[in-house]
Amino acid sequence: MKEEANNSGSEQVITHLDLDTFFVSVERLMDSRLNGRPVLIGGTSDRGVVASCSYEARSFGVHSAMPMRMARELCPEAVVIRGNTGNYTKYSTMVTEIIRERVPLFEKSSIDEFYVDLTGMEKFFGARLLAAEIRKTIINETGLPISFGLSTSKTVSKIATGEAKPNNELYIDRGNEKPFLAPLSVRKIPMVGAKTYQTLCNLGVKQIKTVQEMPVEMMERVMGLNGRVIWKKANGIDRSPVVPYNERKSISTERTFDKDTTDVNKLRSILVAMAENLAFQLRRGEKLTACITIKVRYSDFDTRTMQARIPYTAADHKIIPKVKELFDKIYSRRLLVRLIGVRFSHLVSGGYQIHLFDDTEEMISLYQAMDKMRDRYGDRAVIRASGMGAKSLGRFNPFNGEPPPLLANRHQ
Amino acid sequence: MKFIVTSTDLLKHLQTVSGVLASNNTLPILDNFLFELNKDSLKISASDLETTMITNVSVKAEEQGAIAVPAKLLLDYLKTLPEQPLTFTIDEKTLGVEISSSYGKSKLAGFSADEFPKNPEMEDASQVTVSADILSEAIQKTIFATGNDDLRPVMSGIFCEFSSDGLRFVATDAHKLVRYTRKDAKADSTASFIVPKKPLNLLKGVLGSTTSDIEMEFNGTNVKLSFDEHVLIARLIDGKYPNYEAVIPKDNPNRMLVNRTSLLGSIRRVSIFSNKTTHQVRLKISGSELSISAEDLDYSNEANERLSCSYDGEDIEIGFNSRFLIDMLNNLDQDDVELHLSAPNRAGILVPAGDTDEGVDILMLVMPVMLNG
Repeated sequence: MKEEANNSGSEQVITHLDLDTFFVSVERLMDSRLNGRPVLIGGTSDRGVVASCSYEARSFGVHSAMPMRMARELCPEAVVIRGNTGNYTKYSTMVTEIIRERVPLFEKSSIDEFYVDLTGMEKFFGARLLAAEIRKTIINETGLPISFGLSTSKTVSKIATGEAKPNNELYIDRGNEKPFLAPLSVRKIPMVGAKTYQTLCNLGVKQIKTVQEMPVEMMERVMGLNGRVIWKKANGIDRSPVVPYNERKSISTERTFDKDTTDVNKLRSILVAMAENLAFQLRRGEKLTACITIKVRYSDFDTRTMQARIPYTAADHKIIPKVKELFDKIYSRRLLVRLIGVRFSHLVSGGYQIHLFDDTEEMISLYQAMDKMRDRYGDRAVIRASGMGAKSLGRFNPFNGEPPPLLANRHQ
Repeated sequence: MKFIVTSTDLLKHLQTVSGVLASNNTLPILDNFLFELNKDSLKISASDLETTMITNVSVKAEEQGAIAVPAKLLLDYLKTLPEQPLTFTIDEKTLGVEISSSYGKSKLAGFSADEFPKNPEMEDASQVTVSADILSEAIQKTIFATGNDDLRPVMSGIFCEFSSDGLRFVATDAHKLVRYTRKDAKADSTASFIVPKKPLNLLKGVLGSTTSDIEMEFNGTNVKLSFDEHVLIARLIDGKYPNYEAVIPKDNPNRMLVNRTSLLGSIRRVSIFSNKTTHQVRLKISGSELSISAEDLDYSNEANERLSCSYDGEDIEIGFNSRFLIDMLNNLDQDDVELHLSAPNRAGILVPAGDTDEGVDILMLVMPVMLNG
């Protein structure tokens, strides 16, 4: 294949910007006493995980996505904060606006990460200069530390950012991608998670250099199609474009319980609350769903999902009964439940088609009134009594073009 | 038994009834035409158990008898023949059918006529005579609004309400509705029943070529229509038709008068740029201007057109599935139409404006889609 032979055909110049320990940095702006101290942000219950941690905490071996309990054991003197999504979103938007003003094409891939396409810029501004200027502006205007890597593809710039951190910048010029990647651990390739890493380790592959030296066919034989993709990334070959806006293909919420439960009424109540909120999000975004999925994870981590196709809808009275029906079908084991979740997929843009016989005028007016109140006074301004038990569900507008907030999970 | 028939004549009649043939019959015998010979007339039937269509073709024969003949084979064969007399010779013992044409002979195996399901008897039937063009028009105007939902079988047919005041035909799929009333045709007694879509579609095809009156017989379970040499028997849909009168809003203060073809043209053009699944368009009426817009966020498509109209009412913005509007406007003949509205979350009513034909009343209703603020 041509593209594998060399990467010189690619003209891309891409920089990856990543706010350092974003949540911690925002908290430090709010409260300067946190400076220099180990800080953990995330769920404070036993089941919570670390969403973000300061570099001071990292030196104790803490990393994000680690169970909070373990993190506290490793670093008992850390300040633990639940976090405030609103603040994070606010600062994230500020940063987004700074970037938007300065570049024509960028992708916000999560709350604290951006890819900026600087292809062709070097002629006029110098890509390095522009990237460095953006970084300086962000630091000056928001007070948040940020790092970036600049290279010829998304993968290499992202890895470069990781190497640049904290609060620094790194340039990998065209042609230097392979030598830059060679000494690094394969774990640094964005696709490689714990499982893949294990597989690679078992093969004796630890450094990216080894992957680079392997024939692509061998990787493909061992790991299937993913093998080929990993091999390409290891060689700095990545043509994926910077996509300015990702249309959401599905919306979902899920909830892990602090304590596993068999309380069916509680489970139903939470599902109702979830479905109600998601249906509201659909209507707010003028979307319709045609597929509902329910997920149940038992305490032994046996995870089951069940889905059903329905006619396009965004109406509570069509969705909630279906959610309950699916739950009754799927909840078959008499076992403690650890997690439940609801997902709507097959989304299309459009308003709910009112039914001549099933929908009364009062019902439609009720939805509109409820949605108006929620728009004005917040998502929880009106909720079904049956769903009142469910507090602290993730509620956010999924259709504003922003990636989902919290759970900035770097272990994808 | 033996008969002689003109090949094209036979083919024409077979094609008329062949619409009944289903592609996946539960009973294999239903893949056949039933031939019943009675002197100079050959009666041909096709059935899918729900619907049976019968036609008569004149032949030259001296005997009586009956046999079921494989439909597809016979049709395929006849389609290849130019007009000429064909001689059918049927051995009633072996059920072999021999067809002699000017080119040679072909043989095929038939089945016993006894296996073919019997037509239902029309007991306690009431009778109405309707002219072909009224019935044809009624089907034409309403059938597009019928539903396809297996869960609501009643909506997959046309609801017929006959009384001494007139004949009324109603179709709805719960999102749109058509009510077609003829005051110039009457029934002796009051009756209502739901006729499934399939026989009506067949009828629509055949009625175009006739001008004679149609004898309609119906009881609680079946309807039988006889005209010219054809008979159509259909099983009615069992169930209660929704109370459609209750959902037609009576008080619609906002009225727009607009040229039908210009509106249809605009909606057609704009809807090309609408979402491919929902076909949603937005109608905004203020003053004497109607603006029609659509967008498809997935592809960054959008369109907006303006039309002048005469409007009496408050400014309103309402969303519709453009497919419904196009279907409805297509099925009206008048130059101008009126759209009656009350609120963005209530039904819109489309009626022809100006002079309408004497005794004909047509009302079309369409439910909107919910729009944000």
